[in-house]
Amino acid sequence: MGSDSVSTLPSDTKREPDPQQPPPNSWRIIEFFGRKPREVAIFLLDVIGLISIALAASKHLVNRKRRRIFLNLFIRQLYNTGVRALFINGMIAIFIGALLMSRLFNYIPQQVISTQYSYLFVVIVFRELGPLISGIILISRSATAVTSEIGFLRMTREFQVLHGLGINPVFMFLLPVFFAFPISLFLMFIYFDFVCLLSAYVFIWFSDPSIGFTAFLGGILEQITLNEVAINAVKALLGGVMIGIISIHFGAKATNSFDDVSDAISNSTTTQLMSFFLINVVLSILAYTQ
Amino acid sequence: MSIVIKNLHIEYPDLLLFDDVSFSVSDDEIVAIKTQVLDGGTSLLKGIAGFLQGVSGQSWIDNTDLLASTASEEHFKIGYVYENHGLLSIYNVQQNICLPLQFHTDMPSTEIAQEAISICDLLHIDHSLLASYPHHLNDVQTRMINLARALIVKPRVLLIDELEGGMSDEVLQDTMRRLKERQRDFPMAVIITTASEIVMGLADRVLKISDRNLIEDLV
Repeated sequence: MGSDSVSTLPSDTKREPDPQQPPPNSWRIIEFFGRKPREVAIFLLDVIGLISIALAASKHLVNRKRRRIFLNLFIRQLYNTGVRALFINGMIAIFIGALLMSRLFNYIPQQVISTQYSYLFVVIVFRELGPLISGIILISRSATAVTSEIGFLRMTREFQVLHGLGINPVFMFLLPVFFAFPISLFLMFIYFDFVCLLSAYVFIWFSDPSIGFTAFLGGILEQITLNEVAINAVKALLGGVMIGIISIHFGAKATNSFDDVSDAISNSTTTQLMSFFLINVVLSILAYTQ
Repeated sequence: MSIVIKNLHIEYPDLLLFDDVSFSVSDDEIVAIKTQVLDGGTSLLKGIAGFLQGVSGQSWIDNTDLLASTASEEHFKIGYVYENHGLLSIYNVQQNICLPLQFHTDMPSTEIAQEAISICDLLHIDHSLLASYPHHLNDVQTRMINLARALIVKPRVLLIDELEGGMSDEVLQDTMRRLKERQRDFPMAVIITTASEIVMGLADRVLKISDRNLIEDLV
């Protein structure tokens, strides 16, 4: 007190720091470690809530007319997530096949090349790279589009319009994403693996034309077990559902400004990448650790 | 009576808009609510329709209180015409108009399409707009498509939020006249918020917002 300075700040901010109180930064750190787990818990509960809402909304699919509305939106979503990603997915698969998998061929001793190379191809591409890269493509292309679309619909109050028409927005927007994302992701896995295999073979054949495609393909297919197909299907199901639900969750948080939409996209992408990597790593460890 | 409003109370966290509003509208009546900027006309309509949180009271259509019901079939009985936007951007005009009937009824698609065409003819909506998307439309066209979608379900109550924006006097008079024709064929209570003398002149009754309530405008 007794300061001559002119200030418009509220009087409580002029208090001198009490030497008995901890410095403010400590409180902020403590607050951070208290707030973050709470935010994560709320987020997980929201995700579980959205999944249960989506499953509940599935009851509308028994109605023929509503099923037709859903199918149009579902096919639109499949087209946008899967078909329109064919080019980028294929190009990356070609690069991986050409630069990585064909080079790998040269480092394996000739005596064990067919079994070792096939095994390494399955471990590297089929088990890990294929799912991861397909998931990254889904997140960067389609999930961001869904997040921004939902944010835009919130801003223009189209959800309110649907409520006014007696139509649940969950049926129109969440349900198609809920079903289309896992299916698209699994098909993208298969497509990526196949293109990568073809690309690797082409470059291997240039260095060694004696390698037949049938033998090359057969060797790789022999290494793929039902367990690996099942694990990839689970990765697609869990990963696809999580990516879709997270898109809807963050998109729906947008309110009245485009800043909200860009924040939503940024937060959504970060969360999706972390979740998808976590799902892949955990499933791979559980399935393939001997 | 087609709609009976009792003790309607609309309050936002920092603002009391309407307190203890009660009135009724019969299904052969057009009631105009005279509004000015930011006096709560839109909120009143949305409150009657049950679209808002923080609303108490009763809004009876037939034997159903809209404010106490969450069933989508009840909202199907209401036609709502938004002042701005109001259309779904993922669908074209025809799909927007047909959507409520597609979702809520078992009518064949061809029959629904025919209904959409006849509503467009009634409202003088050019058929070439049917393939357009909402972002291709101007304000007047958007509002007319809103009106077409509201009328196609043959609502028990039609709520219109400021139909006149951007319309010429001739178009507005013609639209109101066609609305009255539609009301004769398919009875419905019509509540319309407006600042237009033309609409007020064509209405059966005019109310105005005063002191958080509605009173008869005898001017």
